[in-house]
Amino acid sequence: MNANENNFETVRQLLKLKQHEVPPPGYFNHFSSQIISRIRAGEEGGTKTFMERLQITAPWLAGFLQIFETRPGIIGAFATSLCLVLGAGLFIAEQSDSAPKTAPVVAENTQPIMDSVTSASPAPLLAATDPSSGISVSTNPVLSLQPSANMFGQQNPLFQSASFATPVGR
Amino acid sequence: MSMPEPATIPDANTPAGMLEGDLVKRARRGDLAAYDELVKRYQERIYATIYHMTGNHEDANDLTQEAFIKAYQALPSFKGGSSFYTWLYRIAINKTINFLKQRKNRHHFSLNDLDFNTEHNPDLVALISHKTPHRDAGLAELQKKLNEALFKLSEPHRMVVILHDVQGVSHEEIAEAMKCNIGTVRSRLFYARQQLQAHLAEYMQS
Repeated sequence: MNANENNFETVRQLLKLKQHEVPPPGYFNHFSSQIISRIRAGEEGGTKTFMERLQITAPWLAGFLQIFETRPGIIGAFATSLCLVLGAGLFIAEQSDSAPKTAPVVAENTQPIMDSVTSASPAPLLAATDPSSGISVSTNPVLSLQPSANMFGQQNPLFQSASFATPVGR
Repeated sequence: MSMPEPATIPDANTPAGMLEGDLVKRARRGDLAAYDELVKRYQERIYATIYHMTGNHEDANDLTQEAFIKAYQALPSFKGGSSFYTWLYRIAINKTINFLKQRKNRHHFSLNDLDFNTEHNPDLVALISHKTPHRDAGLAELQKKLNEALFKLSEPHRMVVILHDVQGVSHEEIAEAMKCNIGTVRSRLFYARQQLQAHLAEYMQS
């Protein structure tokens, strides 16, 4: 290694010339104040771009996006692969959506069941009415689409619980 | 007979007299006076690194300012695992690498002038002495050729040779800043010097 260092001594001497390249006189006199002014302006204006904010909050994501910025080929490849994935997803969705042969049979079989349910119970009885109290009472099961009042232990706000106390002595 | 003025010792309570760690803590809390002092301490070194990498004063000016502003904004994420300077250095280098990637091969030199001491540097005087074949080549021409040779190197090689041979940064610090191992730094340095030697052969002493 020492021999190599000696071999490159001239190159190293030549590179020292770079140390003598200096900015214009007085350049650093107001440099820090310029930076502080820019920071103040940024804080007051809040003019941080999306990328600047991202670089602070998620530098890894900003770095990932910068790869796209610097290498347009990669963004092309990324976009192509994204399109392929979307296309494949759509194709698979189409395949799964196409109706299987057994589906109509199931639908046909369900109809008699529904008929039997509706025919087994007679026409819904109207609530028995107590004309004196004005309260309607019905003991018939009602097959309706209304959701149950209490589902998974939660009160349905559309329902109000009511108690029907019959007057004593009647 | 006038008495010599006593050297002014910076007050430990003013930003100029504070340690780097204290300045960083205060800057993290939004103290811009503390950050101003940090900028003053490192502006020349950061500028020089960026300038040598870009070979352009205007770009170096913009990038140095942006590096300091970004460092201030990112101060909350500074964990203190390394020194503030190493961390700042990494920000500056990454910013410059990204800039150079975008600029690709469109190199535009806007070289700073050589300072007054150049002509009195014994090493450089020896280089343009009577032994050099191009002894009539002035320092300005040598400067131009040197920069052209540097820009023939790849970015990682140029960076290593600039940080080590121009800036005097140690192998360990370069490895930390460039996120590579010391062996890589050494091999890059060797290769870069070899390439420079080949490019500048006509300016080398026989």
